Amino acid sequence: MGRYADTAGNRAVSGQAQAVAAKPVSWLDEARALLAKDLRAELRTKVALSAVGVFTFSALLLLSLATATLKEVQTVDILRLPEPISRDALTAAMHPAWDAPSKMGMLWILLCFAAFSGLSHSFVHEEETGTVMALRLSMSAGAVYAGKLAFNLLLILAVAVIVTPIYMLITGMPMGAPPVFLLVMFSGCVGLAGAATIVAALAAKAHGTGALYGAIGLPLLVVFLMLLLNAASAVFIIDPAPVRLVRDIGGLLSYGVLLITVSALTFGFVWED
Amino acid sequence: MATTQTRPPAPKRPADAEPSEPAPTPGLQGAWWKWAVGLLMCYVIYGAFAVGGTVNFAGSGNSGRIVFFHVPVAILSYVCYAVAACYAIGTLRRRDLRADAKSAIAMELGVLFCVLATITGSLFAGVMWNSFWNWDPREISIVIMLLLYASYLVLRGAVSEQPETRARLSAVYVLVALIPATFLIWVVPRLPWLQSLHPPDTLVRPQNTSASYKAVLYPSFLAFTLLFVWLFQLRYRVWQLVQRRN
Repeated sequence: MGRYADTAGNRAVSGQAQAVAAKPVSWLDEARALLAKDLRAELRTKVALSAVGVFTFSALLLLSLATATLKEVQTVDILRLPEPISRDALTAAMHPAWDAPSKMGMLWILLCFAAFSGLSHSFVHEEETGTVMALRLSMSAGAVYAGKLAFNLLLILAVAVIVTPIYMLITGMPMGAPPVFLLVMFSGCVGLAGAATIVAALAAKAHGTGALYGAIGLPLLVVFLMLLLNAASAVFIIDPAPVRLVRDIGGLLSYGVLLITVSALTFGFVWED
Repeated sequence: MATTQTRPPAPKRPADAEPSEPAPTPGLQGAWWKWAVGLLMCYVIYGAFAVGGTVNFAGSGNSGRIVFFHVPVAILSYVCYAVAACYAIGTLRRRDLRADAKSAIAMELGVLFCVLATITGSLFAGVMWNSFWNWDPREISIVIMLLLYASYLVLRGAVSEQPETRARLSAVYVLVALIPATFLIWVVPRLPWLQSLHPPDTLVRPQNTSASYKAVLYPSFLAFTLLFVWLFQLRYRVWQLVQRRN
């Protein structure tokens, strides 16, 4: 081999090979490596970030334009007014027509579509660049799933952290109790990442376009959104019963956990060729 | 037994693997039980209109007679999904294209029963609540259930050229979408966020169900389930014939 083989790249490769031979790599390490690789690639090209960013920015802009008058509308539940209806009683009973749970629902519809516009690339990109074979050779299916799920979850969390305060500024959505609100947002992100990851894998293997991604992902998302709206209606209750919080938010979280569990069990069949 | 521990390779074309006469599907055989289904269905249809006097399903009067058809069909629309999920597990474990075909057939029949449940439910809603569509939680559920079935067929259509990839991907999709399907049937109609008009306890409360009512309803469950088996066998037979021709 001589001194020509003595380059930095070869040293690194042989060093890695020795490390592999020395101790078996756990799937957690593999998943971490894949996550690091995806993060580095994303920071280099910024494909998903820019797609999600442009989509979210235009959606927020449209939303603030479309809801400019809606925010002003006040409504009164006439049946609940005390009998001699006075002007003061009417004024006191007025509340915004676009209430807090509905605002939460709109936010999550926005986040869902933002996530789906950005995450559909996570497996398609590997197929397009031909790196899918290398990935299949170098690590187990479980590690690939875990790595991709972690990347998608991080991306969705980042988008949620940026978008939610802006959305609150635009629409005036209240927070409710901060721990409960954060728990609902986190559970939502888990469910969204779980749905997006397995659908992305299926759509990439089916050589599908964005249309297929939307078509097979939407039923998973609709049920998820219904559970989320149910949880959102519990967030903004003034003094909620703990049972209700556990039931509604637990239901939302369980949906995401179930999706991730079944996806992890079946991902191997999608991944093999 | 000459079986080996290694998994046999997936058959490229099941038609080659089979003898000239396709192996009969396990389960109900022969023509006698099809006549029995016909007679049972006649009894259910007659009984649904002949049960008199005692019928008062949650105060709905004669329009409540649709329960005899609507409830079995609505339950079957989920049973079809469960059957498809069982065959999907079989597809993944044994790499069997026949199990995949059965899974797909169950999903196709699920569309049929879903549509029937939607139509019968909508007729009842039109008579009872003066509107054929109310966005009741059960109505939302059944529509999303239809969407789920449709998505499955869209996915199958997208990979129709490679039967083995199609078998794997659609089996995984059935299993993943089993979660939203289960939530739709068992959880969504009970969410406190949605107020349901749908009678939840028609069949549970004893004052709603007289003996003559049960004498029609329970055979109706059996008749529709057997109808499902019959349709399933017919569709599978068609699939086998198409495979043999190719």
